[in-house]
Amino acid sequence: MRKFLAVVKREYLKIVWSKTFILSTLFIPLAGLIFSFVPLLMMTIEGDATHLVIIDQSGKMSETVAKMLTENQDFAPDDENETEPLAQINTSQQDKIKEASQKIKAQFVVEDFDSKSMPLEQIKRDLNERLRGQKLDAYLVIPADLKNAPFELYARNASNLTIRPRVKNALNQAVRRVRMKDENISPEKLDAINRDVELNSNRVDDIGETEDSGESFLLYFGIGLLLMLTLTLYGQSILAAVVEEKETRIAEILFSSARPFTLMMGKIVGVGLSALTQLGIWILSIIMIGLYVLPQLARAGVGISLPQLSPAFFILVIVYFLIGFFTYATIYALIGSMVTTVQEGGQFALIAIIPLMGSFYSIFPVMNSPNSNLSIWLSLLPFTAPLVMPVRVAAQTPPLWQIGLSMILNIATVVALTWLASRIYRIGMLMYGKKATIPEVLRWIRQS
Amino acid sequence: MNENKITLHVAGVTKRYGDFAAVDDLSFDVRAGRIFGFLGPNGAGKTSTIRMIVGITAPDDGKIELFGQTVSPQLQDRIGYLPEERGLYRKMKIVDQLRYFAALKNLDGKHADTAIDFWLKRVGLPEWKNKKASDLSKGMQQKIQFISAVIHDPDLVILDEPFSGLDPINVEILQDIVLELKAAGKTIIFSTHLMSTAEKLCDDILLINRSRKVLAGSLREVKASFNKNLIALRVVGGETILEDKNLVSKITAHADELEILLADDADPQILLQRLIETGAKITKFELIEPSLNDIFIEEIKETPLLSKVAN
Repeated sequence: MRKFLAVVKREYLKIVWSKTFILSTLFIPLAGLIFSFVPLLMMTIEGDATHLVIIDQSGKMSETVAKMLTENQDFAPDDENETEPLAQINTSQQDKIKEASQKIKAQFVVEDFDSKSMPLEQIKRDLNERLRGQKLDAYLVIPADLKNAPFELYARNASNLTIRPRVKNALNQAVRRVRMKDENISPEKLDAINRDVELNSNRVDDIGETEDSGESFLLYFGIGLLLMLTLTLYGQSILAAVVEEKETRIAEILFSSARPFTLMMGKIVGVGLSALTQLGIWILSIIMIGLYVLPQLARAGVGISLPQLSPAFFILVIVYFLIGFFTYATIYALIGSMVTTVQEGGQFALIAIIPLMGSFYSIFPVMNSPNSNLSIWLSLLPFTAPLVMPVRVAAQTPPLWQIGLSMILNIATVVALTWLASRIYRIGMLMYGKKATIPEVLRWIRQS
Repeated sequence: MNENKITLHVAGVTKRYGDFAAVDDLSFDVRAGRIFGFLGPNGAGKTSTIRMIVGITAPDDGKIELFGQTVSPQLQDRIGYLPEERGLYRKMKIVDQLRYFAALKNLDGKHADTAIDFWLKRVGLPEWKNKKASDLSKGMQQKIQFISAVIHDPDLVILDEPFSGLDPINVEILQDIVLELKAAGKTIIFSTHLMSTAEKLCDDILLINRSRKVLAGSLREVKASFNKNLIALRVVGGETILEDKNLVSKITAHADELEILLADDADPQILLQRLIETGAKITKFELIEPSLNDIFIEEIKETPLLSKVAN
């Protein structure tokens, strides 16, 4: 046992203290944070209010537009409907969002310019001067004829990007109000007419009806991707570790101290624990992002909502991860013991990569029809089940007997592979100089 | 240490790989507290035999008893093995590697640390303790590998070509350590094809070729049995005597001396006497004991001048 633990410890520490591990562990959640937080920060921290001048040639618009731009009212962009996720967020977060969105909205200082005092050309010249002198951020020219003439926004290039959509939105609303007023429709009536429909997607399964938003697609995809990446990366790292011991001829010293099986399992378990460590850190940071970042993002215009998932589901994911890990890690270790260099191992690694990629791509059809024959078979069979079953369960819980059968089949596969490995590993590791041929390997299995 | 106590008993051991017998019906004993030279040309079956002794592979036939028990994983902890094909983890610190190898021999951390400091000092590398293996020269790495074989204070130390690639000073250091281990009562199996080293260190030898035993016994006995009446001679004159077929069967001329092989049953004393009588000037007359190297080459060539097998 001391020997087994020594191997586990060595493999674990070797990986966990490596630069690659530390960087990838930190970088991936960090990248997630950067991509989600930074736009938000830029919007909130941007600071000074935008100084906008309105030249209203129609005389009917400026007041409404100014009100739209400065007033603290719901400011959902016209042609996108992003407000839904708010319903799922708890109160304290809602407060935070209000705070943030107030900051965003308080950013316009609007100045009404008397357009009748001098000719338009003169005004524009003056205002252009103020723009260049940075005393003004933008000005808006509202034409006398609201129906046909275009509205003109003048701004320094950089600010144009952030100002334009908001001004456009405010204008649209204001113009609509003016048009409706002309048609004798009250703003209240208009709001009633304009209200978006609500479309809730609901999923029905054995557990019952649960509300499900379309974004769970991202989650299934994310789970599949995470599993595939981890299995491939850590499989490769087992391959490299095995080949190192073979190449540097350490294997013989090791085998004279401990059983090859102990050594191989120690290696797989050590690498597996480091993979779990990394997955754990990632999952934690995903949960953090889900709790604190997503609500803010939603407010900033990117709506992602996570479907409600039970702890049982996460346990299932971990169990299938472990099954998948032992399946593929054993294959990678075997490949490592049979080849002479990592490069050579890379070619043979296709044996493991093809079923991994296959199951990853089958996530899409499985998500679409989780109870098709294809989905059922893929979630039962060894090699594909570790990736497909969690996705299938996430999409729609299959009958329990199928989960049970799938686990039995896959655990049996792991046992069989380990048995096979215990026969091949020792002989492969002590064979230097040339890679093993298939007939040779078959003979090893028979003989040992 | 009891001279006759047997550490290792190998009886009728055969190991086959496919149709090829790497070791064929091999039997020998290794006595406790002695240095046992396990000799043979490349591919003779030395490594295959050692692998069975240390429990990496199992014999197809025959039995191997170590310390009076059949070889088992538990016994592995009492063996220190320095394989011919050996290495270190390139990117791991020396101290960590040694700790790891010690743990694999069931040595606890505290004892391992004491042993690591002792051995690093003993081979003159204490300041390399926290360096990575890739920073060390090949000779240094080899000394570290040597440490990994003895760190757990094993009762049986098996060294396969331990000195290959080392400079004379380091060879000296390791030879001293081997002799110290012997003095401490350890049994040492020493595999090599360098006969000069074996001659210097070994108490007993076993010579194998083509998977089979060729020769075994104590170094003294083996040499005695190979005494071929060879004489190194430096002389002016006396040619007629040397041509006497009743005395001399063969003359080999070396740079400044002659190597004389006496005829069967000829007495070296008579040759010397007759040379003096003819008035030849003799500056050297020496009875040569056959070197292990000569014995090795002769046996392996399978054209023995004397078909005598000791033991």
